[in-house]
Amino acid sequence: MEVPPLDVTHSSVSVGHQKMTTRRRSRTFRRLLPIYLFILPGMALFLLWTLYPMLDALVMSFFQWNPNPAATSPFNGIANYTQALSDPIFWQAFGNVLYYTVVTVIGQMVLGLAVALLLNRKLFALGFFRALYYLPVVTSWVVVSVVFAFLFSAPSGPVDWFLGDVLHLIPDTQLWLGSTTLALPTLMILGIWKGVGWNMVIFLAGLQSIPAELYEAARVDGANSWTLFRFITLPLLRPVITFVTVILTMGGFGTFIPMFILTQGGPLHTTETLLTYAYTNAFQTFDFGYAAAITYIFAIFVILLAIVQIRVMQRKVEY
Amino acid sequence: MQSTLSRRRFLERSAQLALATSAAGSFLAACGSSTTSTTGSTKTTITFWHAYNETDTENSTLLTKVIPAFNKQYPNITVRSQDIPYQSLLQKLIASVAGGNGPDLVRTDIIWMPQLAKIGALVSTDDIVAQRKSEFYAGPLATCAYKGNYYGLPLDTNTRVVYYNKTLFSQAGVSQPPATTADFKTVASKISALGKNIFGYAEGGLDPWDTLPWIWSFGGAVTDANYTKATGYINGPQSVAALEFLVDLYKNRDLSPSILGSGNLSTDDALGKNQVGMILDGPWVPPTLQQGYPNLQYGMALMPAGPSGQSASVVGGEDITIMAASKNIDAAKAFMQFMTSEQAQVLMGITGQMPVLKSLAGDSRLPSYFSIYDQQLQTAYPRPVTPNYTKIETILTDAFNRALRSEASAQAALDSAAQQIDPLLQG
Repeated sequence: MEVPPLDVTHSSVSVGHQKMTTRRRSRTFRRLLPIYLFILPGMALFLLWTLYPMLDALVMSFFQWNPNPAATSPFNGIANYTQALSDPIFWQAFGNVLYYTVVTVIGQMVLGLAVALLLNRKLFALGFFRALYYLPVVTSWVVVSVVFAFLFSAPSGPVDWFLGDVLHLIPDTQLWLGSTTLALPTLMILGIWKGVGWNMVIFLAGLQSIPAELYEAARVDGANSWTLFRFITLPLLRPVITFVTVILTMGGFGTFIPMFILTQGGPLHTTETLLTYAYTNAFQTFDFGYAAAITYIFAIFVILLAIVQIRVMQRKVEY
Repeated sequence: MQSTLSRRRFLERSAQLALATSAAGSFLAACGSSTTSTTGSTKTTITFWHAYNETDTENSTLLTKVIPAFNKQYPNITVRSQDIPYQSLLQKLIASVAGGNGPDLVRTDIIWMPQLAKIGALVSTDDIVAQRKSEFYAGPLATCAYKGNYYGLPLDTNTRVVYYNKTLFSQAGVSQPPATTADFKTVASKISALGKNIFGYAEGGLDPWDTLPWIWSFGGAVTDANYTKATGYINGPQSVAALEFLVDLYKNRDLSPSILGSGNLSTDDALGKNQVGMILDGPWVPPTLQQGYPNLQYGMALMPAGPSGQSASVVGGEDITIMAASKNIDAAKAFMQFMTSEQAQVLMGITGQMPVLKSLAGDSRLPSYFSIYDQQLQTAYPRPVTPNYTKIETILTDAFNRALRSEASAQAALDSAAQQIDPLLQG
């Protein structure tokens, strides 16, 4: 864009409309230029490391991709996509992810909100408790996964010992991470435990932005705690709840590390997620095209789901 | 509560993550290798990826003895050795292949060879094999062949034999390791009777590596000799009997439930901690046990013979290969030749890596326990040699899992496996 020199001495009434606009534009541009310059490095990295690989994977998903760049890869049309739709393990992984996401999103939000409500009042050692609940969030997934592997190992892991030998609640043959029915729930416990702190922080911020006068006015009108929560707290937290739901759902669908470390998708694919399955197909059996197709189906589904969630939940509440 | 977190398992898991979080790491590492000319006096650097064990003497022997010995002969070639955990080696390797740069040489598991050769990732070694063919054992050398060409040299070979805990054996009043599969079952149940968390037999999982010794000892097979058909072999009566044998052991709690992936202790650690009477394992185990459990009383025995009288096991091992993207093929070939020389084979042999050279049979510098492995290798069989092996592995593992979990009868599980494997063997 050609930028005309800014002429401050020119004050004639004959300045045309065209010239005014140009001047305003150039001023806007100058004002915004530093901002664009600040965005540039991040944008360049995003284009190089995120957008480019994404488009590359899209291309890959239409080929019978040979990972060796020296070899040619035959075009495959939509065969990789149709293969996924008729692959029972793909659907099993899809179901697992759905199950995992529903349970962990609800679990994290309910517990996170409960903790936030408890810690949103004057309490002895408040900062200590908040930090304590937040600790799992900042701990590495690998470390907590290894700790869970130890806790839930069978036979004779601590959980197994406590529930079996001490409380006699479970049979000796309980397998936890080796069980087709319990492996995924065990991973859900891990996911919920690790995520509660993050939910707590977000909900605390939401709770503190609710004006205290609303509660005072309602109390004057004789409302009890439940009514306060039901008709003031919950409705006013709606934007926060929407935000948390969308973010957690995406996170739940993208879960990978705990499965990869603890069960590798097993036993019998009962903890297989879309990402572990894509990973196995790419790096174990070298079906990169198929793996790319799986991740694209996954991405499209998550985007659609996020749009639906935002539409449904974004009703404005005013008092 | 006796379970403790095994250090090795911890390292394995951390390593898996290291891979998960830094897929780009392999590209970056690969970019670092310099590429100067191999001729004349210029320095050449070659990168060598392997999964030699870091917790015992394998990796340290490579670094402090083998590579220095190579450098005496080739002072102008610098070898950059990169130790990558076994579980992530193939993944890192394929990522580096896709990136067009990676290591010059790799110590590859024999089961990956057809898969890597098929995508054209390996350099042919027909020239070397033509000169040295008679030096190598035929079995290990055959693992380097794909469609009439050779793509590497055999580096080490191994199989699995029975390790038994003598302390538990004497507590259970058993004096001899089991000679037949029927004995094995009796002994296993005597040892399991010693305590609630003591098991007669423990296995790390239900991979073909874990289970095929039983299939073959019972006289079964995965496919025909030419790897063209699974139906009638993996679901034949002998294979089914082998699987039923394992199911029985498991149901009687003579086989540790850790086989289903619930455990937290590797089988050799469980043996070392006197929690397990018998395991199957490879020749790298004695140095590991020596390091971790110096006071452990253990013995070694051949796989028990099945109803047909045969004791059989599975062939394992590694080949050394040059990656097609290497820019230092001459230097890499020099290192490959050195690693398969008597000198290097003996040095690594002492750490438990069995040599592949006929000339070293019974060599006095090698550990004496190799003799039982030499004997077992006479009746050890390779896993199906096909580019689709990794897929077949998943199918077999799933089938065995379903049978042990009583989700299907042994026959039904193997019938369905055979049906899935057959199309993978075509073409």
